[in-house]
Amino acid sequence: MNRARIFLTGVGGQGTLTATTLLARTALAAGLPVTAGEIHGMAQRGGVVESTILIGGYKSPVISKGEADVLLGFELLETLRALPMLKRGGVVVGNSESVQPVGVCLGRECYPPLDAVLETARGFAARVVMVPCISLAEQAGTAKAANMVLIAAAAACGALPFGVDALIRSVEKYLKPKIVPLNLKALELGAAAAATGQAA
Amino acid sequence: MGKELLTAAAGETLLLLGNEAIARGALEGGVRFVTCYPGTPSSEVPDTFFRLSKDGPYYFEYSVNEKVALEVAGGATLAGLPALVTMKHVGVNVAADPLMTLAYVTAPGGLILLSADDPGCHSSQNEQDNRIYARLGGLPCFEPATAQECKDMARDALLLSRSLEAPVLLRTTTRVNHVRGPVTFGALPDTPAAKLFAKNPAKYVPLPASARPMHVRLLERLEKAREAAETSPYNTERGTGEVGFIASGAARNYLADVLEEDGLEGTVRVLDLGMSYPLPENRIAEFLGKCRKVVIVEELEPVLENEIRALAQKRGISVEIIGKGPHLPRLGEYATVNVRAAVNATLGRETAAVETLSVPVDLPKRPPNLCAGCPHRAAYYAVREVFGDEAVYSSDIGCYTLGFLPPFRAADFLLCMGSSISAGAGFARASGKPVVAFIGDSTFFHSGITGLIDAVAYNHDILIVILDNRTTAMTGHQPNPGVDTTIFGENPNPVDLSALIRACGITPVKVNPLNHKATIAALTEFAGQSGPRVLIAEYPCPIHARRVGQAKKTPPARVTGDPAACLTVRDTLACPAFAMVEGVFTINAEQCDGCMYCVQLSADIKPGKKEAR
Ligand code: SF4
Ligand code: SF4
Repeated sequence: MNRARIFLTGVGGQGTLTATTLLARTALAAGLPVTAGEIHGMAQRGGVVESTILIGGYKSPVISKGEADVLLGFELLETLRALPMLKRGGVVVGNSESVQPVGVCLGRECYPPLDAVLETARGFAARVVMVPCISLAEQAGTAKAANMVLIAAAAACGALPFGVDALIRSVEKYLKPKIVPLNLKALELGAAAAATGQAA
Repeated sequence: MGKELLTAAAGETLLLLGNEAIARGALEGGVRFVTCYPGTPSSEVPDTFFRLSKDGPYYFEYSVNEKVALEVAGGATLAGLPALVTMKHVGVNVAADPLMTLAYVTAPGGLILLSADDPGCHSSQNEQDNRIYARLGGLPCFEPATAQECKDMARDALLLSRSLEAPVLLRTTTRVNHVRGPVTFGALPDTPAAKLFAKNPAKYVPLPASARPMHVRLLERLEKAREAAETSPYNTERGTGEVGFIASGAARNYLADVLEEDGLEGTVRVLDLGMSYPLPENRIAEFLGKCRKVVIVEELEPVLENEIRALAQKRGISVEIIGKGPHLPRLGEYATVNVRAAVNATLGRETAAVETLSVPVDLPKRPPNLCAGCPHRAAYYAVREVFGDEAVYSSDIGCYTLGFLPPFRAADFLLCMGSSISAGAGFARASGKPVVAFIGDSTFFHSGITGLIDAVAYNHDILIVILDNRTTAMTGHQPNPGVDTTIFGENPNPVDLSALIRACGITPVKVNPLNHKATIAALTEFAGQSGPRVLIAEYPCPIHARRVGQAKKTPPARVTGDPAACLTVRDTLACPAFAMVEGVFTINAEQCDGCMYCVQLSADIKPGKKEAR
């Protein structure tokens, strides 16, 4: 992989932007030209957070519909919503667990099942990998590390231009020492789950 | 990004956010004075300066509004210090008054105004194109496109400003402010030699007699800036052929990516304009002369397009100029898709349809929402309970704007920062309807207070609810003049909001909005009165309280009684901690902030046990 557009989507508070920065730094450390972008502002307060990482010499941080080589979905519904960003033959690595939006919490709207994502992606994406990020992160010590579980899964299944070892080095280098062991554990669980999460 | 911005040596390469890169660039340009009013997408520039302010070689303030920010920095540059003022695009409207004259009065120490525009309205009420302010005020304008350029242009704009003594506009857009890319650092200069202020009223006091020659000198400075643009390293040409593209700002990125990806790089001519005003006329004329067809690629208004058309006409250059049209719209953001369509249309190539997946259209939405435990939710709940649909709600800019969503629907109109009181007063006067105006503490200091003074002076019939959460939450929890605590500890000089309002002639009533009974009682009393009235609903934003280490730890609420009896609270309060699990109402202990508001509304919800956390 020498050029890749990676689209990341999640919910405010899930650590999507932290993961984006960590991935971009990891790419830079691997000597790859990288550009990343993020849209927040009104997107905080539990709204959708979208970000991008473009590797291999792109200048623009924007990804249009049908352009993403990789879709990293930190939340199931948002993964489904972002599927139009994916390019034919692209890879989806997503969290199989949900963060309910308010309309669903209040019983006004229905949350789509995991199968809806798989069905939609089938035949279009080359590969779909779904991992229970929140449960695994809780296993590692806190639900907050779900973002690490996801990126480790992505790296482990070859969706990123670097491996889990590069992520481990970044976590050790860029996160506060106090939270490093927990995040390393999350990486480990995410990488291990990647193999079992293959769905399409 | 931590202290590296202050300490990293020349030659080091770091991954920076565009806004962090602007901060480093200003430091490399010798900045010694930074003022701002926060606003997305500009906020990380001042936030970076604020975080580093204990160690940085500069004065920093979050000013009360953009006009004041520019005026304070204007004074500093007159005193000889290199200054940076940051705001979002609509903030420049607030600062427009001093801006137009500052260009006459000059900026001897150097001054850059960062205007962060927001094509696509990601977090703004409009998408105005502030390059037009450069034309209106006579300010040289730089338009970076990458993180590296954010750094380099912030430095060079400040240096140019200092040498011309002209304020310079650094105009970015959301995608540039929030790009993240590698940035190679330059050196940090020693303290710039102070330029001493010598009294010279004819130069610095724009009375009619002095303003006329000042305008002459402004135009002379612009001519010098034009010469700088002619040779600016940010205005570059590449490629060959008789089809040309002239691009500025983020549009340069989309064009470059399309040409590269489609194998067209080098086969067409490209003129990148990084320093886009004053127009490097000779350079552009020369470029036009080599082309049969030229496409102007710029987001938002046809600013360059019109100027280049005029230039071609003036110089008698016959070339086809293509600008705004079906592929290059006048609104919203550009992306590779539409720039590709424009490139292909120009070159007579087919644009292959992009194949995309379609997803169900009726997916649950995920609108931004007031956080669990937000005191604004409680205030809206109580106002709704007392005033219902009878009153008209005048809203303002802040987290609480989200109160326009159901179930509160507590925003019927909104103009701009600080307008809720004044526009609400006008509405009340014109309609005779009861009006409740909502405004935050920061927004009140920003420009709400003038509306209050007007309401008192003209006895407007309006209930003003100041949602005082002790911070500026929407833009990232920056301090404002009234706050008690910042990330650096206690604020030694807080402005007393109640006393300020009293001085305007109204005795405000203050409540804790999380106290349901007290708030309802205060509102009910107000409902029976007329004239201007002020309720201060004061309770710290829990996110801010956590950040400054002042959060009270309260266990989450629990449903102890009949969940089915909680559905009214669910529908009228809509706290994001509420959840339906298999059709049964429950409270998500992870999400609940323990504000205990729902507990006051339902006998079936009780506080959790202390050891629950
Ligand atoms: S950030 Fe603070 S003020 Fe804004 S919605 Fe959340 S709790 Fe409320
Ligand atoms: S106590 Fe009630 S209203 Fe407050 S955050 Fe928890 S669930 Fe929401």
